[in-house]
Amino acid sequence: MMKHRIIATVAVLLAFCAGARSQNVIDLIVSEVMAESDSLSLVDDYGRRNGWIEIFNTSQGTVNLGGCYLTDDRDNLKKSLIQKGDLRTQLGPRQSIVFFASGDSSDGTFYTSFTIRPGSTIYLVSNDGRTIVDSIEVPQDLPAGMSVTKIAEDLKQMDFRTVPQPVKPTPYASAGAHSAESKAQKIAESDPHGWTLTVTSVSVVFCALAILWFLFWILFERPAKQKAKAKDKPAAQKKTAVKGGKEDEIAAAVALALDMDGNGETYAAIAMALHLQLTDCVHDTEPYFITIKRSSSSDWNDKTQNFRKYPTR
Amino acid sequence: MEQIISSLQQFWQFTGFANCQWQNIAMIVIGIAFITVAILKEWEPLLLVPIGFGMIIGNIPMFPGLNIGIYENGSVLNTLYQGVKMGWYPPLIFLGIGAMTDFSALISQPRLILIGAAAQMGIFGAYLLALACGFMPNEAGAIGIIGGADGPTAIFLSSKLAPDLMGAIAVSAYSYMALVPVIQRPIMLALTTKKERLIRMPAPRQVSQKEKIIFPIIGFLTTAFIVPSGLPLLGMLFFGNLLKESGVTRRLAEAARGPIVDIVTILIGLTVGASTQADKFLTGKSLLIFGLGLLSFVIATTCGVLFVKLFNLFIRDPKRKINPLIGNAGVSAVPDSARVSEVVGRESDPTNHLLMHAMGPNVAGVIGSAVAAGILLSFLG
Repeated sequence: MMKHRIIATVAVLLAFCAGARSQNVIDLIVSEVMAESDSLSLVDDYGRRNGWIEIFNTSQGTVNLGGCYLTDDRDNLKKSLIQKGDLRTQLGPRQSIVFFASGDSSDGTFYTSFTIRPGSTIYLVSNDGRTIVDSIEVPQDLPAGMSVTKIAEDLKQMDFRTVPQPVKPTPYASAGAHSAESKAQKIAESDPHGWTLTVTSVSVVFCALAILWFLFWILFERPAKQKAKAKDKPAAQKKTAVKGGKEDEIAAAVALALDMDGNGETYAAIAMALHLQLTDCVHDTEPYFITIKRSSSSDWNDKTQNFRKYPTR
Repeated sequence: MEQIISSLQQFWQFTGFANCQWQNIAMIVIGIAFITVAILKEWEPLLLVPIGFGMIIGNIPMFPGLNIGIYENGSVLNTLYQGVKMGWYPPLIFLGIGAMTDFSALISQPRLILIGAAAQMGIFGAYLLALACGFMPNEAGAIGIIGGADGPTAIFLSSKLAPDLMGAIAVSAYSYMALVPVIQRPIMLALTTKKERLIRMPAPRQVSQKEKIIFPIIGFLTTAFIVPSGLPLLGMLFFGNLLKESGVTRRLAEAARGPIVDIVTILIGLTVGASTQADKFLTGKSLLIFGLGLLSFVIATTCGVLFVKLFNLFIRDPKRKINPLIGNAGVSAVPDSARVSEVVGRESDPTNHLLMHAMGPNVAGVIGSAVAAGILLSFLG
């Protein structure tokens, strides 16, 4: 028993851990990197054009980046710390943030202590300094002003893949944002009269409730019916046997009564009795009402009954 | 003296009289009408009294910027309104519904569950009509859910799909729920023959406690796996029912069906009522929503009754035939629509009690409307 409780507790804790994981730094990805800027590239707070790293939150919860690390060196995972205590490091669901690779992290929260070299790999490291959360490889031949990016065809699936060809940079834009059209807009285009959605939805509602029907029928109704049938069978057999056994006696009693007193009332009474007997209409179940007829003379709860009795001479 | 007059003139600008428009008066009159109907006719008084008074509160003309209106961030009413806007209240009401609902009628005759599915046609019928009227699919879905005859579900779905229409949808849903006896009776009588109305259904078998405990678990697993988007409503409904039936959480069940549901009903009614500010509510769209809502109830009732008639064609044993008068109970509106079945049934045969039979499709309707809401949310959300 104790063992089962421990297993259940551990299972519940694991389930909670799994739930908590979904709002952790593990949901972050390095979604886009630009190594070398050109004259049209993003300008930082100091008016410079640097390479930059975009981090994207794939979860539906807010994730705090503070305390994590960015690095381009597999052997030095703690190369550039993302400052703790800055509220701006809280990354909302499906939001992205850009870090400028200026080479000097003292420039501010969103600056790294390294610059990005073509051919390197950029790692996002968890706040334990050991776990690599995500990485992206910067191609050796990445042209200036172009970036390497990860895109999910469907933002629902969150299955991001690195685009093999360099692309035009889209900093601060959600990866896969080209599918930004709302579901309602898509449905309006694909099913303007609503018949497809209606037929599908009605089918699903019917299926869901039909499955419930089937489950309850197989789990509850069918066994109950079988049980009732099994219960009724011996009773019916017994009844038939009793009836069959008494048939001769009844016939004899009826014949005797008719011989003794042959008026109309007797015939009617016998006919009614036979009808009730043969159609099983004779009720043999008592109503089980308990009636208490109070008697005013009863003194069972009279307080004087509890008094100490004095001995009498 | 002049200063006093000037102050009084300035104060006048803050009063409701100075800011009053005919739309405010119209909404206040509607609010009073709701309260009157609730008190005199006893039509859904637990909902119509808070909604009616909320309408009056929300339509008191006032000077904007005082941070007291329901649409002004940080105001008391706005804070209470978050439960509607973010969809917290409906699942809490479902928790209470689960804790007070006895699913025995459904468990004993599981075939009646399909009537609950048929009556959901009202939702999709209204969806098609709303699309034809020019609404966007998400708005049409939110309007369609009125046909589910389930106020909390209507609020939940409209808060997700079309928050701008939520006031009109919620008021429409609750109003028609109150009018269920008026709407359903003529349809039931028109669609059934005297002979059909006299059908006597076999007495439901007695359901064991074990079955009652297993029901919410299986019911939840089945529906939630098929429509996970209905999780908040289905989860709370079945959880509440498990609290009731488990027999070991009596205090929790009592809290869920008592204080919790009462508090949330007050808050939801009042804030939904207050959200019907004249400038946002009195529009052509709202009138259209009311019309579509009425049609959705008509379609739901019609489909429920006709489905039973169709179902009867496949039942060979005359003793197992279903009285079509319980078809209307497939729209959730618990327990009003089941009560309508009983009343109309007794008009034809005073000894034929249909209430227990009608409760089966009635509670199936609650599950069905939550499933339908989940489907609409996954397609359009």
